[in-house]
Amino acid sequence: MQAVRPSRPGKGDVVSRERYLEPEVELIGPAELRDHQERRVVELVAYAYEHSAFYRELWDAHGVHPKDVRSLEDFQERIPFMDKSMVREYRAGHRDPYGGMLCVPPEQVTSISSTSGTTGDPEFFAEVWDDAPPLITAQLRDLWELGLRPGDKVISPPGCFRNLMDYGYQALGATVIAVNTWLGNMHEVVEAARAYRPAYIQLAYPLVTELIRLGETEDLREAFSSLKGVSFAGQPLSRRMRATMQEDWGVEVFEYTSAADTGTAWECREHNGFHLWEDTVFAECVDTESLGPAAEGHTGELVATDLDNLAAPLIRYRSSDLVRLNRDRCACGRTHARMWLAGRRGDETIVRGRPVTLRDIEQAVEAQPETIGGVFQVVRTQREVEVLRVRVGYDPVATPDPADLGVRLTKAVYDATGVEPELELRTEEELMRTVRSVAKFARVVNS
Amino acid sequence: MARMDTLARARQLEDRSDVAYVVRFAGRDGAVDVEQTWAELGRDAAWVATRLSELGIGPGDRVLLNGSGAEGPWLRPLMDALHSLGVTYGIAEAMGWDANRTLVFARELDLHGVIGLPREVAERLGDDAVLRALFGATRFVLARPDAVPQLRSAGIAAGVISFLGPALAIECRRRRGAHVDAAEWTVGEDGGAIWLAPAAVGRCRGLGRTVLKVRGTVSTEVCPCGSADPRVIFEGE
Repeated sequence: MQAVRPSRPGKGDVVSRERYLEPEVELIGPAELRDHQERRVVELVAYAYEHSAFYRELWDAHGVHPKDVRSLEDFQERIPFMDKSMVREYRAGHRDPYGGMLCVPPEQVTSISSTSGTTGDPEFFAEVWDDAPPLITAQLRDLWELGLRPGDKVISPPGCFRNLMDYGYQALGATVIAVNTWLGNMHEVVEAARAYRPAYIQLAYPLVTELIRLGETEDLREAFSSLKGVSFAGQPLSRRMRATMQEDWGVEVFEYTSAADTGTAWECREHNGFHLWEDTVFAECVDTESLGPAAEGHTGELVATDLDNLAAPLIRYRSSDLVRLNRDRCACGRTHARMWLAGRRGDETIVRGRPVTLRDIEQAVEAQPETIGGVFQVVRTQREVEVLRVRVGYDPVATPDPADLGVRLTKAVYDATGVEPELELRTEEELMRTVRSVAKFARVVNS
Repeated sequence: MARMDTLARARQLEDRSDVAYVVRFAGRDGAVDVEQTWAELGRDAAWVATRLSELGIGPGDRVLLNGSGAEGPWLRPLMDALHSLGVTYGIAEAMGWDANRTLVFARELDLHGVIGLPREVAERLGDDAVLRALFGATRFVLARPDAVPQLRSAGIAAGVISFLGPALAIECRRRRGAHVDAAEWTVGEDGGAIWLAPAAVGRCRGLGRTVLKVRGTVSTEVCPCGSADPRVIFEGE
């Protein structure tokens, strides 16, 4: 039977305000947005100086006082950057679990979520809220754009370390289908999709690799035909993986990424960059050498300031995310900035002086039919190495001759990077068993 | 222009579902799906708040919840209850590989309580000495039944919390079995297997008496704590 996809305004349908959950905010004019940001930043600096020991100490050390910050220009000129290592240092030095960031009495904190913890101990996010936690609340506009509407059904996400996402889906009037969506349970997800006809599901890299294999025996196009959209986060989605999801499964994929830990940034239906919500974040793109603003259209580091977080706001936070920012109005009509990810500061491996990017390796790995899932890791103990060690996961069913695969992979990686790798082949399943996060598959590991 | 405004806008949306969750749980003969309405979720949260309050949990306390994304039907009443009691909760995955998150919360936050600790996390945290160092001074630990023996053998006076079909079961200070809300559920035992049936009219529409994939015994005597809720003593706890 031919699957019927749910109807919904399509790409480029900008005219109807029904496309937007909050049209007055999503379509805001640049001048009004800037006024809002300036007002919030000036208030925030005074607030943080008064309530946060971390910022007071940092800004005092830089000779900055809130009275010196009366505009966005003052803010960018005078307020120093901060990063995670500084918060960790403060936490260790002062035995303060919140790293001096907390601006409210601890008993007023509603919940504490944390970072993925893939590169070290998780860092806390103190959250103060009434009806729904802040992270999912900032995604409601994105879920609306994806097509989620009251009465729809949503399949529960696999994890909850960033708090229970159900609050957000339910705030939009949707029902949550509570089935286990972690690794090894994709057959159950497919069965639930057939039974309940959900409109939305969130997926992450390990789950998609399992579904790709399941798709060899299950008709995922039919099973997922009710979905208005699938979101994907945790790490960049490879072109090949996206193509499989869109062309073979017939689903529209909405990638999203972190807005430097102030929230998230999602693709809209135009799929041309990640929208930041600039009423909640003041985003800067900073040249990593000069630490001044990156030239228009150039790649720089995303530096973010929370505009809607009175619990523990990040202020001029260096995220290590390398991005390109653009503030032109999107074809969807929204005026908030979009960003494009170029990678993470420090993810590049320097092999005998030659830079090798993860993307180069990914494309070489995905080009082989046995490793189409793109499951690989760079193994290194330091950024500059003599030998490029790459661990690659293959599908044993599709791999009659691992030795031959090794030869082809070595050549493909060499062609893409100019460096001959030392390969370690494992089955995909073996590598997936090493996953330590519901959100991320570590691409760079030290052993 | 703030998240509060976004939520306010969402609240105005019409045609909302009365059903908060479709709950999937393990019955003896396979998976069972039931619907959980907003009214039912609210009653569950109120009952949980009473039970936690009786355990001495109150404003200003810090509690760690171990859960997973698919456990919303049970986590949300717990979170709503903690919120209503003025308790701060932290959250960590209930999966063994995420045990480091539980460790960091326990190490850094001077927890007053832990709720939902499963065996796979307890095992990964370390031996008895590590568990005692982490939780020995914690005012209360409510663990899943499979983690309770390890914790108790480490000298931690852990109580039981369990997701019992679509219901929650929570042990009181007297440690005489995990209470199930009598206003909502009837529970019993059938050849060592626990069964559950709705007591409240219309609860989980269409659900009849259902034997769970849970073994144990049931006491319907009034608990020494004074509660008339039926109590489940899980096999092996």
